[in-house]
Amino acid sequence: MTSTENLVKRLPNDIGGLPAEPIQRVEHSLEPWEKRCHALADVLDFHKIINTEEKRCGVEALGAEMVGKLSYYERWIVAFANILFRKQILTPEELARKMGEVEARWDGEAALGGLSDL
Amino acid sequence: MGMQGHSREADHDHAEISKSSPPQYYDIMETAVRELLIEKKMIEADEIRRQLEVLDSRAPALGAKIVARAWVDPAFRARLLANGRAACEEFGISFYDDTQLIVLENTEKVHNLIVCTLCSCYPRPVLGLPPDWYKLKPYRARAVIEPRSILAEFGTIIPDDVEVRVSDSTAMVRYLVLPRRPEGTEDFSEEELAATVTRDTMIGVVPATVVVGRIQQ
Repeated sequence: MTSTENLVKRLPNDIGGLPAEPIQRVEHSLEPWEKRCHALADVLDFHKIINTEEKRCGVEALGAEMVGKLSYYERWIVAFANILFRKQILTPEELARKMGEVEARWDGEAALGGLSDL
Repeated sequence: MGMQGHSREADHDHAEISKSSPPQYYDIMETAVRELLIEKKMIEADEIRRQLEVLDSRAPALGAKIVARAWVDPAFRARLLANGRAACEEFGISFYDDTQLIVLENTEKVHNLIVCTLCSCYPRPVLGLPPDWYKLKPYRARAVIEPRSILAEFGTIIPDDVEVRVSDSTAMVRYLVLPRRPEGTEDFSEEELAATVTRDTMIGVVPATVVVGRIQQ
């Protein structure tokens, strides 16, 4: 077997049957944004904007390094963004601008601090 | 309008909870993607809100009720094994996605275990969201090659003469294990039976058991 053959035969998600560590019975309650991300995924599926299989492929297309280092819902939201770019539903510029707005909005709220409690 | 009041309340909660921790990159990305799609009228804010409520309404207690009904009602059990989705819908559990459900019955001779080797497919309409360990590499990688070792790590020893069957879920086909009814439960009500059925029994990593103390009561 050549040194790269395994990379061809096994995409990042395809791990069934590989050796691995003992099970660690970890569980956590979803963060609010993780739950919103899950609801977003379901709604995108209802509208056939991104179906489950496209989502799975989108995660795989992130490549082994991102699949290995991003958390579960981090992979989802990045995959959604990439798929929406590819389908020409969003542009990277649009998303960058909106992310700037969202961040600025939070900073604005934070600046008001407890005073926003009206 | 009503929505305005709701939104201000949400902002307030948000500020209260995360005052010391600004939203992180991916949190911001989620909000930005969602808001852009709403602005483009591809999805509606209310759909997200409603789906959050649906997600909150799904938990292993639903699956436990299905299992308990199957234990006490042979005709329902037959329908459940013939078409899991139709039987759950008849029971009042809506499927909010396009998935089919195959219910796998544990018997004296067969023990079933479910997994999704490729990602995290799971019977969410019936059980809610999967535990983290179900989505992580060790379970996904090993369940299909050494299920008995996995089961042993959960404290479940399956006799050698019992076949262990592992079913690998897909985007369209999900599985649910129908565990064996615990011994000594002949006089249990359906509700008491449901209490013996946990999430992990319906994934297949542990058997349904009577909670210690119940029998002494």
